[in-house]
Amino acid sequence: MNSSQQARQFLAEATSCAAISIPDDARIGQFAAWDSLAHLRLIIRIEEAIGRQLDPDETVRIESLAEIAALITSTA
Amino acid sequence: MMPPGSGRPGRPVLLQTERFALRSLKPIDAPERWVKWLKDPEVMGPLNSPLRQSTTQELRAHIASADNNERYLIGIFDLATQVQIGFFMIEVELVHRRATFNVVIGEKAWWGKDVVNETRAALLDEFFNDRGVDKAMGMPLARNFPAIFNYKAQGWRHEGTLRGHCLSITDGSRLDQLQFGISKTEWFEKRGKNRR
Repeated sequence: MNSSQQARQFLAEATSCAAISIPDDARIGQFAAWDSLAHLRLIIRIEEAIGRQLDPDETVRIESLAEIAALITSTA
Repeated sequence: MMPPGSGRPGRPVLLQTERFALRSLKPIDAPERWVKWLKDPEVMGPLNSPLRQSTTQELRAHIASADNNERYLIGIFDLATQVQIGFFMIEVELVHRRATFNVVIGEKAWWGKDVVNETRAALLDEFFNDRGVDKAMGMPLARNFPAIFNYKAQGWRHEGTLRGHCLSITDGSRLDQLQFGISKTEWFEKRGKNRR
């Protein structure tokens, strides 16, 4: 699974949506299922996957599906 | 608008959104449910606030200290039931026309339901339009992810990261804190595009 697919999977799990239903341009404030509690679940899921806590500057950059993928790539 | 630094009590806040009423709290409002929130680690933990065994009388004194000029305590009430579900504490630095927003949603059934941004939007309108504020700030802890989400979803900017800024009340470690801000101009530009 590449980082884009992994990002989509993490966001799907966090929002309880099917991965296929998540738009490519999903973004905070625009994708309704991505709410504050889903955001909490998303970050915890990313941290589980990479095996460490994200630092504040990493977490604050997470605004879109593309940024989740970029973060996963940068931590691989 | 009250002249800067007057120290006099201001007008109470009284607003309504689609789902909520917002009004300046009065000492008589001090509810049992607020006592419960202050003892709940899930509610207070993300704020790094010590758990308190406050009495209703102490809460009434705390509420009475808000002057609706430099310090506001504003209850969030569910319109359907009139039950209070949380509150804002807003501190205004009159000289700098700057307000710092803090919010607690004590009723967990409302978490993840956009309460903060629906109500804070009405407060930003009020403070920018009618209470002489030019800039709003928020200072969540770096691991308060729901709060960070809300600031970003509402268009606030991350202005800085304060490393090791606070001492954890639970384990004594140093905690990072973020600063978010939004100006009056930015808010009304965004408001034109998105009503929340």
